[in-house]
Amino acid sequence: MVWERLRHLLDETLLNFRRGGWGVVASIGAITVAFLVTGTFLLLTLNLGTVVAQWAEDFQVIVFLTDAITPEQVTLLRKRLEGELAVREVTYVSREEALADFRKQIRGQESLLEGLKTNPLPASFQLRIQKQHQTATALGQLAVSLRRMEGVEDVLYGQEWVDRLTSLVQVMKILGIVIGAVLGIASLFIVANTIRLAVYARAQEIEIMRLVGASRSYIQIPLILDGTLQGGLGAALALGMLYVLFRATLWQLGASAPLIFSGAELGRFLDVEYRMGIVGVGALLGAVGSLVAVRRFLRA
Amino acid sequence: MIQMFHVSKIYPKEVVAVSDITLHIQRGEFVFLSGPSGAGKTTLLRLIFRDELPTSGQILVNGRNVVRLRESKLPALRRSIGVIFQDFKLLMDRTVYDNLHLVARVLGVPEAVSRRKIGRLLKEVGLLQKADEIPYKLSGGEQQRVAIARALMSDPAILLADEPTGNLDPDLALDVMRLLIEVNIRGTTVVVATHNRRLVSEMGQRALILKQGRLMEETH
Repeated sequence: MVWERLRHLLDETLLNFRRGGWGVVASIGAITVAFLVTGTFLLLTLNLGTVVAQWAEDFQVIVFLTDAITPEQVTLLRKRLEGELAVREVTYVSREEALADFRKQIRGQESLLEGLKTNPLPASFQLRIQKQHQTATALGQLAVSLRRMEGVEDVLYGQEWVDRLTSLVQVMKILGIVIGAVLGIASLFIVANTIRLAVYARAQEIEIMRLVGASRSYIQIPLILDGTLQGGLGAALALGMLYVLFRATLWQLGASAPLIFSGAELGRFLDVEYRMGIVGVGALLGAVGSLVAVRRFLRA
Repeated sequence: MIQMFHVSKIYPKEVVAVSDITLHIQRGEFVFLSGPSGAGKTTLLRLIFRDELPTSGQILVNGRNVVRLRESKLPALRRSIGVIFQDFKLLMDRTVYDNLHLVARVLGVPEAVSRRKIGRLLKEVGLLQKADEIPYKLSGGEQQRVAIARALMSDPAILLADEPTGNLDPDLALDVMRLLIEVNIRGTTVVVATHNRRLVSEMGQRALILKQGRLMEETH
């Protein structure tokens, strides 16, 4: 009995699917597009967010030192820097360490450095800044006062950039949510419509089933499963395409990417939770869409 | 088996289909529901398997009050009643076998059992050779018999037939009536709606005469 029921469910669902023909294809296609667009935003936002967070953490202020600086001056400078209220942590990076770090960052393209006879990189202090001082103006003032110190070649701080990028990520996040919602609702209607067509195409069969004693759920569940399948399949397809696009983009960026995103973990595709979530939301959209269509029909 | 108490059905715009009907059909009876077209025969049948709800009055079928039946109990009622529709309601995009198989699936009958049963029913109505035909290609009389076989798939306690001889020539009509009587002899309560009064008098069964939605007379 249970086996018969399951078989019926599977048969009916696949039957609907096959009979739907181009309607089903269009429906899945629409969901795929909706999820591809939304997924792209999600992926960009997440990756950019990681990069920006990493930047904010790592590159708050870098104090480059002149090549002529003496060890005594370095010690003195360190003391003064550690005395600054805004500074949380001071790390000294020697010229050799700087070169080694750089080598690591451009791994695979070390040949770029082969022509170098001398080390072109300066020694530096990398400063981590207290949370409450992490504003563009505060860091600007700090930079000005640091530049006046002896042995300091230049001061670099990226706070303004970090601020800008952070707000960019915010805007993208909101944009992604809005676009995702609009496209999600649109695909809901498309699935509802596809299922409604499927129901109309089988109106006589459904009527006969009701007249010979089929329960409401017996008729509804295969149709709802059909919509669920369409939604889930569309979302899964979008995820696959997104992955291919993502890989292709990374490959295109190739050499320059490690430099741009130095320090940050680059090129993370969506985590398993996100992937399952996307397919789940697709399936849910399909289920709700078909439920709406089926309910309306069976009430009439 | 079927009891009606002061049953009326009024459609929108005050169209009275049946009016103040009280009747009693015993278990195992064979009853004609007779009267001219538009007298309310089809409506009366649809009230029995609750395809329609009455505007007023009560209907008991097999001990159950159909009017107050909950939605969840409807499948059980429908499974106890076989219906032969005036327009047959056969699916023209699949075979005779599949038309019957649809009912087996709804009832959750295991595959092996349903295959045997379909074979037996098709043999009874003389259509075993046509199992793989599309109903569209069958004659009116053959389609009618497919409809009868399908109505019997659930071994119903009650069989309702709406104008089962409407489109048939007299010989075929008698064949179909014989088939229905056989079903009745095996214990099923049979109600046949027909406008053919000659057929009713030839068969000599109990007949309820409807005229303009009212029960006029009973003949035996």
